[in-house]
Amino acid sequence: MAGFSMFWRIERRLLTTNYGRLFVILLALGAGAAVTSALLNLQVDAKKRLTTEFRALGANVIVTPRQTTDKDAAGTTLDQNLLAEIPSVYEGKPVLAVGFLYVIGEVAKAGQVHFEPAVIAGTEGAGLTQVRPGKRTEYLANLESDPSACEVGVKAAEQFKVHAGDELQLRNQGKSASCKVFAVVATGGAEDTQVFTKLKTAQELSDLKGRLSLIQLSVTATPDSVRAFVAALGQKLPDASVGGIKQFAEAESRIYNRISGLLTSTVLLVLLLTSLCVMAGMSNVAVERKNDVGLMKAIGGSVRRVVRLFLTEAILLGIGGGLIGSAVGIVVSIWLGKTVFGVAAQPRWIVYPLSVSLTVIVSILSAFPLRRLASIRPASVFRGEE
Amino acid sequence: MFLRLVADSFTRRPRRKILSMAALAMGMAVATAALSVSLDVGDRLAREFRSLGANLLVTPEADSLPLEIGGVDYRPANAGTYLPEADLGKLKTIFWRFNIIAFAPILQSPGQMLVGDASSPKPSDFSDIQIIGTWTNHAVPIPDGTTYVTGIEKTNPWWSVEGRWFREGARECVVGKALAKKKGVQIGDQVLLNVPDPLKKVQAFAPYTITGVLSTGATEEDAVVVSLDDAQKLTRLPQVYRRLYVSALTKPEDAFARKDPKAMSPEEFDKWYCTPYISSIALQISEELKGTDVRVIRRVAEGEGQVLSRVRTLLWLVTFAALLAAALAVGASAAASVIERRTEIGLMKALGANSGLVGVLLAAEQLLLAFVGGGLGYAVGILLARVLGERIFGFTPEPKLFVLLIILGLAAAITLLGSAFPLRQAARYDPAPILRGE
Repeated sequence: MAGFSMFWRIERRLLTTNYGRLFVILLALGAGAAVTSALLNLQVDAKKRLTTEFRALGANVIVTPRQTTDKDAAGTTLDQNLLAEIPSVYEGKPVLAVGFLYVIGEVAKAGQVHFEPAVIAGTEGAGLTQVRPGKRTEYLANLESDPSACEVGVKAAEQFKVHAGDELQLRNQGKSASCKVFAVVATGGAEDTQVFTKLKTAQELSDLKGRLSLIQLSVTATPDSVRAFVAALGQKLPDASVGGIKQFAEAESRIYNRISGLLTSTVLLVLLLTSLCVMAGMSNVAVERKNDVGLMKAIGGSVRRVVRLFLTEAILLGIGGGLIGSAVGIVVSIWLGKTVFGVAAQPRWIVYPLSVSLTVIVSILSAFPLRRLASIRPASVFRGEE
Repeated sequence: MFLRLVADSFTRRPRRKILSMAALAMGMAVATAALSVSLDVGDRLAREFRSLGANLLVTPEADSLPLEIGGVDYRPANAGTYLPEADLGKLKTIFWRFNIIAFAPILQSPGQMLVGDASSPKPSDFSDIQIIGTWTNHAVPIPDGTTYVTGIEKTNPWWSVEGRWFREGARECVVGKALAKKKGVQIGDQVLLNVPDPLKKVQAFAPYTITGVLSTGATEEDAVVVSLDDAQKLTRLPQVYRRLYVSALTKPEDAFARKDPKAMSPEEFDKWYCTPYISSIALQISEELKGTDVRVIRRVAEGEGQVLSRVRTLLWLVTFAALLAAALAVGASAAASVIERRTEIGLMKALGANSGLVGVLLAAEQLLLAFVGGGLGYAVGILLARVLGERIFGFTPEPKLFVLLIILGLAAAITLLGSAFPLRQAARYDPAPILRGE
């Protein structure tokens, strides 16, 4: 028992005799731990967040009728009820699904008699602006909820000389309707030439009640999960063909893999070198313990006991530095997440014990040069020889 | 005497100096690698994003409204206007010509395909299809006398061909996957193509050899793709195209880019014009190609901009974290080395050296250490950056001189800062207790 308390007394003296040194070591270890936990936390979070960012690309999954004929766009259609069968949440993130029905009808500004052919797209579902990304060059929010509201592509708006607030007449095969333009949208794609109405309007114009041309979905998930989603949805909807949009799916998975590879390797590199750095700094301090060791050995301390003493010191320092540093790191990563993605990073608690234990391991490894202490001859130390 | 003291401190205790230097070199290696990679990676990623496809679409300005659904234009072939193919070389003469990495014109028309015995065709052998004419691996003459090779495989990299693309002038074609399956045609088969001419009673079909099967995941899988030249012959529309896809490397739009160019002051306009924003490149293209309407494909451009700017910030943060960690560790090691030498400092002061001289002596040592360690770290860091760059992006970041300068400056600043605090304490040391070992 006496030996035990002596051990801890020496330990306390070792740690507290020189506050400057203690501070320096804790700073080095704490900095390493802070960077470790901040990067680990941010890395996990950033990868998740990237999948959300990629949704700026719009729809990534498309549901089309199983058979497409080359002649007529509305030749085969989907049942509108399929829209309800699409899960609204996938892996905790909402799935946006918008049904489209395309009709080639005729359009003119209200009061005009000259009609011109144009594609009328009836849409239904949440998230049209996310599924079909673009820029609204004109927008009247108060008209949006109007039951006969419609959105016009820039090219079409130019052609029909309409602006937000104007009225359009639509007709197709003897049927006619009118709608109020609430927005003009620029997408750079075919949508620029289309008129977007409520689904019901397009269905009435085309006499295709309860039908859809296709459904576009925006699924927020990693490329692999999206693939799994497509396969599952394909089984659920046997009458339709479900597929990823190749243009975006391929590029997305490529870019995602690059970025996550870059993040992982940068983080690993930083962690490795940070620990090497901390180790080198610590070792420098450890070598300085020669005098102490010489004295201990001179008064009969066994090498094993001496080494145990210093290892305990290293572990205590590692725990101290790790606990403080990792906590700081997690707080920092929350703030960093906010800076990069505009949303505070979710702290992942697994990161905390992980980075504390990493720090302890690093500090034990930094005590590695102490091995040399075993060969110290007390006499030469006291004589001041090196 | 001063130099001898500095030199002695290095030669007498090499092990300790090596350890300090190793800590410094490692920290600086992380800093160098992180800096080099982040400096280059933005450009690499921007290039990577071009696999999303074209981000600019050029169409005739005075066109009738396209009736386009899912990439198929349902207008009759004679409706609308076309653009001259001969002008396309001018794309590589705009201010940001090197940022235009690919472009491909498209001439698309409904047509007919005849499979099987051409001498006595059954009605079921005919099928109505879309014929798409475009470039693959096409050498475009540039007004400066050179040529530039581009094509649809560069603007739409997700178009994959089983077999090979057609050769120009060889009457070859590539058929969409769905169409090939439906009609039971294979690579090596011959199909007859025609775009019906309403003025003629007897339609003349031209034979084409299938060289590949195209999968795109979209409506092109129901179409036949031929060279632009052949499509012009089939549609009897020589030297024209209808749509042009341009893939350009751009700078993500910021608040400045979103300003209306018309409302800018002349200086602002110059700055905007000379920045590779997608909008300024669009303007430059429409200046060169007369009578066109150049539109930004928003979903591609904005998706790219958003992800790219996030990733850039993220990388800079990681770099910053690396720098910070390196700085703290190096600073701590510098501080430790000063603390360890209290006895020495005490002795020097006892011998009559004042605090200033002791400070200068230690600072000189630390600086020497910083330059050697920093230089070493830079070399290791460049190697690391190479490994990283090659593993992830297949490119080698160029070693940059100013990174070396930053690293050396940083190393010097950090070691000095790290030593400053214990040095100030050392200045207050009373030699006597230190020498007594208290």
